[in-house]
Amino acid sequence: MSNLAGILTLRRLVAAWSDSSQEEAARFVDSHRDLLPRRITSAQLYGLVNVVRSAHCFADVQRFVRHQGKKAERAGRRDVANYWEEVDQTLSSLRNNAKKLQQLIDSLPLTVDPQSGLDMLHLQLAGEFVQHLIAHSLYWSPIPKER
Amino acid sequence: MSQQADVRAVEIARRLALDQDIACKSDGYASSAQSYADRLAQTGLDKTQIRGLETLTYTTDKVSDVTDWLKLRVGRDEKRDRWARKGIGRELLATLERLRDDAREIADEVKREHPLPDKDIDLERQVHLRLIREYLKHLAAHFEYVKAGGR
Repeated sequence: MSNLAGILTLRRLVAAWSDSSQEEAARFVDSHRDLLPRRITSAQLYGLVNVVRSAHCFADVQRFVRHQGKKAERAGRRDVANYWEEVDQTLSSLRNNAKKLQQLIDSLPLTVDPQSGLDMLHLQLAGEFVQHLIAHSLYWSPIPKER
Repeated sequence: MSQQADVRAVEIARRLALDQDIACKSDGYASSAQSYADRLAQTGLDKTQIRGLETLTYTTDKVSDVTDWLKLRVGRDEKRDRWARKGIGRELLATLERLRDDAREIADEVKREHPLPDKDIDLERQVHLRLIREYLKHLAAHFEYVKAGGR
């Protein structure tokens, strides 16, 4: 597979995966709706999306998420700490999805070794998932009041 | 070589069938999309934001990019005078999601009539995105028309 074909195939696979993961992200948010928006604030969520977008490896994201969990733990907010633990678990589990996608293409483009290619793909999937997570978390439109 | 040519011929036939089916559905969307445009024109939205949404649909390869964009705009509209006004953003989102049913119908029919060796499991998603583009194209055009005093 040529490098260009690899890039296009990967792009298409990630797009399809991203669309299919939106529902799971929405379910995750809905199961924590009671924490939004007061205990898990928009600022924290935007912080997460900024970290995911600027991270060079998945470990950077994991570090941020775990730090948020520890901060909540220290503040005695067990429910918030649980939220970040679940975010950590969910994002970490995306590595399996990245592995499955990696197997579908012959070679990951623009990478020197399969391990860093896998990490890059994992980070990309985490970015997609977090985008859905943030959008669904901030999505709130109550039924308009009757006049 | 002959088998390759056969596959190529089916691919072309499939593409033409898709274009035709999507065009047919698109014409059917015009009235509903115009109704949204009329309602959106009553909100505080201006054409830049509607164009922004239309541009996004034409530049992305993900349906979720469009729906996430709308969700964010609804969520950020604290004054509820734009995307969140009278639940219009939420309704539009549901309408765009429902286009998936049409996409499934088209994809199933095209796959049945023009079978290819690979299963092409991504076809329904791609048709869905194209239908969303068509829907929002009508909406954006009518929105600008209304804003320019067309109605």
